[in-house]
Amino acid sequence: MFPSLANLLSFIALGAAILLIVRGSLAGQVRVFAFQSFVLALLAAAVAAFAGSVELFGVALVLMTIKGVVIPRVLHRAVTNIGLHRAAAPYLSPPAALTVCGGLVVAAFYVMGPVAASNPLPTAGAIPLAFAGVLVGFFVTVNRRRALTQILGFLMLENGIFLLALLCTYGVPFIVEMGVFLDVLVAVLILEVFTYRIKENFDSIDVGEMETLRG
Amino acid sequence: MTLIALPLIPLVAAGLIALAGRRAWMETVHALAAVGTLGAGLAVAAQALRSGPVVALDGFLRADALSALMIAVIALLGGVAALYAPGYARLAFDAAHAGRARTLFGLFHLFIFTMLLAVCTDNLGVMWVAIEGTTLATVFLVNLHGTRTSLEAAYKYLILSSVGIALAFIGTVLMYYAGAAQAGEIAVNWTSLRAAASSLNPQVVRLAFVFILVGYGTKMGLAPMHTWLPDAHSEAPAPISALMSGVLLNVGLYAVMRFRAVADVAAGPDFAGRLLMGLGLLSLTVASVFLLRQRNYKRMLAYSSVEHMGVICLGLGFGGPWGVLGALLHAINHALSKSLLFILSGNILLKYRTTEIHRVRGLLHVSPLTGGAFLAGTLALIGLPPFGLFISEFIILRAGLEGDAVWVAAGGIVLLVIAFAGVLRSVNQMLYGRPDEDLPRGDALTWSLAPLTVNFALLLVTGLTLPPALLGALNQVLQVIG
Repeated sequence: MFPSLANLLSFIALGAAILLIVRGSLAGQVRVFAFQSFVLALLAAAVAAFAGSVELFGVALVLMTIKGVVIPRVLHRAVTNIGLHRAAAPYLSPPAALTVCGGLVVAAFYVMGPVAASNPLPTAGAIPLAFAGVLVGFFVTVNRRRALTQILGFLMLENGIFLLALLCTYGVPFIVEMGVFLDVLVAVLILEVFTYRIKENFDSIDVGEMETLRG
Repeated sequence: MTLIALPLIPLVAAGLIALAGRRAWMETVHALAAVGTLGAGLAVAAQALRSGPVVALDGFLRADALSALMIAVIALLGGVAALYAPGYARLAFDAAHAGRARTLFGLFHLFIFTMLLAVCTDNLGVMWVAIEGTTLATVFLVNLHGTRTSLEAAYKYLILSSVGIALAFIGTVLMYYAGAAQAGEIAVNWTSLRAAASSLNPQVVRLAFVFILVGYGTKMGLAPMHTWLPDAHSEAPAPISALMSGVLLNVGLYAVMRFRAVADVAAGPDFAGRLLMGLGLLSLTVASVFLLRQRNYKRMLAYSSVEHMGVICLGLGFGGPWGVLGALLHAINHALSKSLLFILSGNILLKYRTTEIHRVRGLLHVSPLTGGAFLAGTLALIGLPPFGLFISEFIILRAGLEGDAVWVAAGGIVLLVIAFAGVLRSVNQMLYGRPDEDLPRGDALTWSLAPLTVNFALLLVTGLTLPPALLGALNQVLQVIG
């Protein structure tokens, strides 16, 4: 029962990461990220109940607050203030990108299969799914031109790593988890400032415009 | 006690500077904090080297010989850069940009705090948080001059470093898993991981080390993950460039060395060694190509950092006591010479108001002190005697030639010669030639350069005599991670 729940929720989280590739509107992309964070918080709470860990339950609550509510609000505010609602064309078109994602999922199973097999925890079966989420987040970061979508890709990557740690070892120690949340929150706030500055200086948030620094 | 005070001093200073009313107050807090950090840092380092690891807060903070070496470098070069910063800020940011001085001083100490925390904690997860913190503390500093290019550099720096270091977190999680699966419920402490190293699952450790090396290698500026480095290091204000190139890269190296010590025991020494040699050789290749046709002197210094990080990786990859000892010594020497040159580059920028090599003419004639020191620093950097880098490069290459990596070492020598020629050609163009007639003679800042005598003195010490105290310290580090 518990292993299939872990599998199901990990699968949904990966699905959300892939959905980011096909969503055209920035607000929609932010909602996809918030949804994924909620799924992860749910899974963390389930693991906490299963393992009887109060700390992990706290982690789930903080995750829901920061990545499910606070960061999406910050990003929505940025979308509204910049006045851009459509995501810019990615380097690869959605069909091509989906093909790449398929390849990444296969690669994830190839790399993480042995790790999952050697892991005795009931959640271990879903480890390759979590790693696939990491790779898809990485791919979104490099495939998108616009600063905001790159930030979302980075956040998806972070979520994937959180899931990986959750499945591998029921999460990392509490203090480390809190430190990571703090870093991610500060990084997003800094990136928000940068999207404004980029918009001001380059009159677009297309990072493809930024190519003065060479050689 | 001192170990707790050490990271607290810069952290409190950053807070006070954010609250300080007048510029004079900011500068006072800044100077006091720099001196305090230097004193506490040297005290902790001496204690750790004399009487073994210093521990505080139930083992959360722990400084062994390797930490001591890093603390000494951070505290010393942090002090040198701190003494240069007020003068630079006064000339670079006029009254209209007074806010930038506050950002510079405040984030300077936050930056020092994150680096000290990274090398003073036994918890590998907290170390990761602190190293990501170094990126967050410096990103606004890269953008401090407010130009379009600095904005571009800062954005790329933040995204690339954050994504890169996220990969290091995967490696940390996998190491934690390898340790937890073996020893039951162990914390992510380096000491327990190292103690259990021989019984860890080698397959998981190999996978973990690949992520660690790519992740922290990004912070170290190893090719092909180096692309953010020339941008960020060249756009940041000079005192910050000096710390980013001279000290922060070593913090990335520190993380790699910690994990290498575990991986060598768990997965055999060849595995990490080959990866390090590969990345080292690639970094040397990329850097020497870009050094040959460099048009911007700050970017030239930045690419030279990629080159020297490559040399250090070769030393670690060759392994054995001499390879690792050479790598440690080279890390110190590079830190001394690179922070020196970046601080001097600040003087050049303040004088000529350009970072382009072909627009800097007759430096020796225009600013004799800056020019002379820049020449001497360059000779040290490219590895000429009597300076320390000559000795450490020699030790590293000999370790390779006498081991079974003869061809790698030979390739390294060829690439070092190419980089040598590239740097010397560029610096020659700057030193000589006819300067603009209307450029006033004199150095932009003179007394602010006084601390650089410490760098020169230490470079001569490591180049002419390897004092027993230093060799003893390096041997202790070898005991910890060798």
